[in-house]
Formats: sequence, structure tokens, C-alpha cells
Amino acid sequence: MNYSTSQFKNGLKLILDGNPCSIVNNEIVKPGKGQAFNRVKFKDLITGKTLEKTYKSGESLEGADVMELEMQYLYSDGEQWHFMEPESFEQFDLSEESMGNAIDYLVEQDICIVTLWNNNPITVVPPIQVILEVIDTDPGLKGDTAGTGGKPATLNTGVVVQVPLFVGIGDKVKVDTRTNEYSGRA
Amino acid sequence: MSEVKKTLVHYQDLIIKIREFFYSRKVTEVKTPSLLFSPTTDVYIDSIEVKVNRDISRPTDLYLHTSPELEMKRLLSKGSGDIFQICQVYRDNEYGSNNSNEFTMLEFYRIDFDMHSLVNEITDLLKVLGKTDAITKISYAQAFSEFGNIDILDADLEDLKKIANSLGLNSDYDWVEDLQTLLFVHLIEPKINQIPICFIYDYPKEQSALAKIEGPIAHRFELYLNGIEVANGYEEIQSADEYRDRFNNELYKREKISKKNSLVDEGFLRDMNAGLPHCSGVAIGIERLFSTISL
Repeated sequence: MNYSTSQFKNGLKLILDGNPCSIVNNEIVKPGKGQAFNRVKFKDLITGKTLEKTYKSGESLEGADVMELEMQYLYSDGEQWHFMEPESFEQFDLSEESMGNAIDYLVEQDICIVTLWNNNPITVVPPIQVILEVIDTDPGLKGDTAGTGGKPATLNTGVVVQVPLFVGIGDKVKVDTRTNEYSGRA
Repeated sequence: MSEVKKTLVHYQDLIIKIREFFYSRKVTEVKTPSLLFSPTTDVYIDSIEVKVNRDISRPTDLYLHTSPELEMKRLLSKGSGDIFQICQVYRDNEYGSNNSNEFTMLEFYRIDFDMHSLVNEITDLLKVLGKTDAITKISYAQAFSEFGNIDILDADLEDLKKIANSLGLNSDYDWVEDLQTLLFVHLIEPKINQIPICFIYDYPKEQSALAKIEGPIAHRFELYLNGIEVANGYEEIQSADEYRDRFNNELYKREKISKKNSLVDEGFLRDMNAGLPHCSGVAIGIERLFSTISL
């Protein structure tokens, strides 16, 4: 299915240079003495890169069959990361490349958003906040409170996050996956 | 004071300042008809048709003016001297956050002004309205060379298509001016949106509209406020023959792109037989301008 510029809106998924992209900004520009254009910002859903294109009004682009589904992360065999769609029990596999930074945050059973293009998974977005366990960090100093200084801590997914000095091995911490920041003890 | 009242008074103060600016310079305020017998010939501007006098058996098709330009030029040709007008104008097929089917236009003409004198007068007006940012003036060719590394005046249709393709843009355009505009919208506007007040002047001759042509360039300018087009001005062509040529060229292009067409405005051309005095004129979009001036 093709979409004309008059149907462009934020969130619309289209094929651009062979990749599925999502419109993040659509601006109509009508020069006083020229024809009307749509100046459009896209996010490439595979590479994550931002693209800017300008179309004359009336041009059309092929729609991308993209779906975002909630799925449960099952396990990884080291090469593929396995997910399941809880309604249909259908399983999907993602490569390390498609996993992106979700590798740093997902533990088994976590629910996350997987993007499918033509029914193939292309990306996964972890929950905004995840709870992970500290498996390694230097011993803390007594009397310290959150927010003053910090130290690196390795969590059970392997990711390293700055935590307050009082956090110790075995503690469970909340991490904001957008910023990779400690946001409290769980 | 309510928010509405504040906005209305602010708007009124700005209009008063504009009027006083012109009165003090002995520019006469005029009012020209907004219902015209001919639609605009502009390729990419469409008139709104109005059907009148059906019930008195005198059916006539009239057109709301898209700008007061031609009617004001008729006054100039008859000896009006310097004139300005603030009026509503109407355009079909306009849509978007910066476009509307109706908007307010300030249009004025200054006798014996060249393009740069008119640009200077607009900068005076902007100061009077409280816009004190530094003024940037850059030619169309400079803008392309600085922001796009493109020699725009030297690029023909094939060159421009190659450039568009290299940027991943559709190059399926029939005319040089359309590709120039595509590249301007794609490459230049996003750069000049950092500049509070930017005059772009010396447009390529293919985009002359009704401006005088000299070699590869036309004495046409535009004013951009943070990347939004606010004004369009020319050092005006003066003879009926030149106007007829420009109109016919526009009508030819309208026909090529299957747009509704009509004949040129013969009444206007008749008046131009007397010749238009040497002058420069500009149209300024009032809503776009005022939206950049805070309370």
C-alpha cells in the first residue's frame, strides 16, 4: 500500500531506501512562488539513524508492514535471543545486532516491545525501567547517601551502571534503560 | 486584561506602528478591489473562485485576489506615487502550520527604489516593530555555495537532477526552478532557521516572477525570519510587453501541469501600456511577521 504526502503523519511507517522507517516530523513548506513540499524527518527502524527528505506534495511512498508487539524474553543461546508472543505463543529470534542495547537490560521473563517488519523481528525496546542485581562492585563507604558521588557496579546482565556508594553486591537496583542511570533501590 | 484582549491590542499596536511608519514617509495608504475578473497566473498560487449575481440573471465568475499586486500597479501606472496597503488575501489549496486560505498582507511600492533600497527600508520597519536582531543579507548563490557547496547559477537541469539524486531525493521535475526550490527547501531553509533576520537576494532568473532580470539573476529578494518565509519583493519590470511575456510563461507552465487556466488580465496590461514607473515593491505576510514579535 502506498501513502501520499497528504497522508504523512508522525508514526507512519514507510519504506525508504529499502529499509522500514518511521516519520518523526512532517513539515509542509509552501514557498510563496514555488510548489508545496513536505520536509520529513524519518527514523530508520533498523539502523536507528535519522534521515531527512523533501518530497513534492503528491509524491507517494510504499508503506512498511511494521508491527510493535509486546513479547516475553525467554532466553539466549549466545547467538540468538528468543522471544515469545504471549497470546499466540509464537516465538521469534533476534540476532545480537538487532538486539542493540536491549542486551544490557533484559533478563528472562521480561516483557518488552518487539518490532516486526513483514513478520520478522527487527528491533526490541526494553522496558523504560528494569530491576537488575549487582554482581560486582567495590565495597561502599559508611554514611554515604544517594546522589553524592558514586561508583561503578556490574549488574547481572553484564551492564555497568554508576550507583551510590551504599549499594553492595547482591542488591537489586532500578535502572533507567533510556539513560543507563541508576534510579533507586528495588 | 484578558489574554484575548492583550493579543488584540498587541496586534493593533503593531498595525498602528506600520501605518505611522509609512505616513511619516509620505507613502499613501490605498485600498484596491479584492474581487477580480481574472484569476492569478502564478503557477503555484491558486485563486478562489466566487460565483455572484446568479439570482439577478447576471451570473459572473469573480476571483478573490491572491495579492493586491496587480491592482496596486495599476494605481502606480496612473501616477499614484508611493503606496501601501494592508489587506486580507485569499488562496486556494493552502494547508499546513504556516499556511492558510486567508491571511493578511502588507504590500508596498516605492518609486525610484532599487531592490537594495527597499531591503534597507524593510530593515527600518522591522526595527520600528521591535525586531532588533542583527540583519543577515546573503545572495541566493552565496547561500547555496555556503550551505550546500553548490554553484546554483551554473547548474542546469541535469546537474540539479544529479544533485537531488545524490541527496536521495526524487529528481522527477520538469523545470530548473522547481529543482532549485526543492534544494532550497531541503538544504538551505534548515540552515537559515538559525538566523533571526535573513534577506536572500538576487534569485536565479528562472525564479524572476515579476522582477527585473540582469544576466543570470533577477532583482528579487525574500525575507526569512528563522527560516520562515515572510516577504517577497522585486525591483519591478515596467513594460506591458514584459508583463505579457511573464504571464504567458506562467500560463504555459500551468497548462503543462494540468492546472486550471484562464487568460491574462488584459485590463492590467492596458494600464501597463503607459508603463510602470521605476519602483520596487514587496509583500509581507503579517501573521508570520507578528508571530515573531512577542508582547
